[in-house]
Amino acid sequence: MTLTQAAPLAPDFPVDLQDVDAQHFWQQDRMHFPGQVLPLDGELMASAPGRGMTHAFRVYEAPIEAMRVRIEHGYVYNAMVGVQASPAELEELGRRSEEAVMGALGRLGERWDTEWLPAIRRHLQVMGALDLPRASGAALAAHLDEVVARYDRLWQLHMIAVLPSYLAMSEFEDFYRDVVGGQALDAYRLLQGIPSKTTEVAADLWRLSRVALGSAEVTSVLSTAASGDVPALLERSPEGRAFRVRLDEHLRRYGHRSATWGLGSPSFIEDPAPVIKVLADYVGQPDAADPAEDLARLAADREQAVADARERLRPYPAAVRAQFDALLAAAQAGAVISEDHNFWIDFYATDLVRQVVLELGRRCADARTLSHPHDVLYLTLDELRAAAPAPAAADLRAVVVRRRADLQAYAAVPAPPVLGTPPAGPPPDSPFTRLTAKFWGTSPQAPTEPGVLRGAGGSRGALTGPARVVRALADTERLRPGEILVAETTAPPWTPLFAIAAAVVTDTGGILSHSAVVAREYAIPAVVGTGLATATIRDGDLLEVDGDTGIVRIVG
Amino acid sequence: MRSLAALPAAADVAELLWLGDERAGDPALTGGKAANLSRSAAVHDVPPGFVLTVPGATLPRELRRALSAAYRRLGELVGTDAPPVAVRSSAVDEDGLQASFAGQHDTFLNVSGAEAVWWAVARCFASFGAQRALDYRRDRGLAEAPERVAVLVQWLVPADASGVVFSADPVSGDRDEVVINASWGLGESIVGGTVTPDSWRVAHDGLVIRGRVVADKRRMTIAAPGGTREVPVPGRMSRLPALDDAQVRRAAALAVALERRMGRPVDLELAWAGDDLFLLQCRPITTLHHDRSPR
Repeated sequence: MTLTQAAPLAPDFPVDLQDVDAQHFWQQDRMHFPGQVLPLDGELMASAPGRGMTHAFRVYEAPIEAMRVRIEHGYVYNAMVGVQASPAELEELGRRSEEAVMGALGRLGERWDTEWLPAIRRHLQVMGALDLPRASGAALAAHLDEVVARYDRLWQLHMIAVLPSYLAMSEFEDFYRDVVGGQALDAYRLLQGIPSKTTEVAADLWRLSRVALGSAEVTSVLSTAASGDVPALLERSPEGRAFRVRLDEHLRRYGHRSATWGLGSPSFIEDPAPVIKVLADYVGQPDAADPAEDLARLAADREQAVADARERLRPYPAAVRAQFDALLAAAQAGAVISEDHNFWIDFYATDLVRQVVLELGRRCADARTLSHPHDVLYLTLDELRAAAPAPAAADLRAVVVRRRADLQAYAAVPAPPVLGTPPAGPPPDSPFTRLTAKFWGTSPQAPTEPGVLRGAGGSRGALTGPARVVRALADTERLRPGEILVAETTAPPWTPLFAIAAAVVTDTGGILSHSAVVAREYAIPAVVGTGLATATIRDGDLLEVDGDTGIVRIVG
Repeated sequence: MRSLAALPAAADVAELLWLGDERAGDPALTGGKAANLSRSAAVHDVPPGFVLTVPGATLPRELRRALSAAYRRLGELVGTDAPPVAVRSSAVDEDGLQASFAGQHDTFLNVSGAEAVWWAVARCFASFGAQRALDYRRDRGLAEAPERVAVLVQWLVPADASGVVFSADPVSGDRDEVVINASWGLGESIVGGTVTPDSWRVAHDGLVIRGRVVADKRRMTIAAPGGTREVPVPGRMSRLPALDDAQVRRAAALAVALERRMGRPVDLELAWAGDDLFLLQCRPITTLHHDRSPR
């Protein structure tokens, strides 16, 4: 057994890691939560994925006992807790688990369509069924329990679907490289341009933009007014009101999304400004800019790449060709699931939880036990459960003030990237560990020369352009066409920015991270997982981005 | 398959004989290897092919038309226009019981088109003058020029897996078990020793699989333009067995049947393609040092 040193603690970031927790290796999840999360998010949005993953590990018999989540001063840390077993037992467990999860690959698309997605939609239907403003306190309290329980179940489904999906893409990449050769990114050409919820949203919004162009009045409002003023301005004319009906229909179907992960972020139904901004951009585009055309081009390129690979595989044994076809089908299904699950669970379900929580917040604010409805996010789930049937019963304002102050004290403190005890050595090679590295990225390489950042190539191509550092979707008004989007991470609703940016550079993630996947769909260069991009790069810096080599140079 | 060659069947003329043809089974005409294969064709599928057998070591140009016609016929038999073939020499005194002559002459794999096949056949004849073959013959006390040279032109089976099968254990000499070595792709990686194949031991009695070792098969041979190419086996397939149990038992049954027919232990080269099993070569085991069988 190798003794390892616990990671040194930052003196201004006290952490109380006791007993077994101190033996785990905690890594900050900057990819999903670059900033602090509020207490309720800590219990729900930040922790439910850990509980879901733990469930999925059990379903697929993974040699990992649990994914633990802890929140330190608002920052989210994850630890993988291994199974206690001898190396021989671990190898046997690993082999069995590989079989279990590989077995799921064969019917991935089918299971999503016929099993997982219908189950997800049934949960969402129940979660959204209560007429919140009219519900009694007792009904709201019961609904809160219902929603929280279903939210956990949804995160189990999330991980059951997503684990084999990412594994399929990761294994396909490795297989492709073994038989066809080339760079890692070449394999992903065969997975691009497949219709998903994301392309469905874009297509619907594009249709809406063509409707808008049919009315001079609506076109004028969309092209001149600030995004936030558009809904009110549309109400001023009959044509505007008719268009508003279409827009609301779009939002009803696709608006349960928000700018970033978490309960604190308003949905596009609450604040449609980000959707209206994309709509306004679309209105300024000619018919030829139809995103369906881009999708068709990507699909044609994909089919060519598939045909080339099949031709290359012609002299190979039938078993190799069959494996290729099976992995390709699984990876293509996985590519869609890896995108669509975000829509249904990460965003839709979270928004339904948010609406219930906010209703409680409003009732507490009305009863003056909270100062503001949004303060409800500073409560714990237990406090919320207690307040639900009787919002006037306990004054929660002091608790909120204290917790807000606690978080603010650490808002500007750089959180240590790791806590606890680092593992004695690298994990053994397995499909799981390879996938983990491709999703989260490997540790960024330390800069060897000034002005040079090294990450992973996320999407092919190289170009030079000015940087735009974006920390929140609200900053994106500043992003201009031709600029290079520099961000800690990009949440799925940032996707429209990829149509504007010339390239993308992120702090976090690997070749299978969402930022890399979307950059490939938009065919713009991306370098992911540089570790330091947002800390090093300033707005307007001239960057050379090379998505093939994963190198970013600050050249001016 | 019957002989298409309209050539007289005298001992001192060139002939084209199809595998399976009775005369192709005469080692004095087609050499030990092709003759064995031809006789085996009565017992089991061999990849369709034909033998050019020529007195002396000079290829008569008149055979060219007969070769083109036979190659066309081969294409009809396997269902493609320009079937890939292997072209191999088979000396008339080769593969006799006294010496294994494997690998002493040129072999051309994955040759397609009548023109290219003629060129490869011509090269095979030329190779009989090559020094290494002459040295080999001299060392074994054989005549320096063979009385008759035969060249086998045979469909190159697009093998999913290939193997070498021994009807008796070539190491221990055990006569009651068949030993099967198999790996992905064409047989060159196994024969050439660049891959550690999977192996099975199957009892003659009841064809019970008694042992199985699945190896980490890193390399495999596939057809490539103008020949073959050794490529890496995809990581996730290297530890999958190249054969299923049914394929293993079928191969063992074939080895037992051929041993019975030949009257002594044999080694086979086999190719699996889709549902088909092809016999590529069958010869007596010449290195069974510890033969424990009663004589």
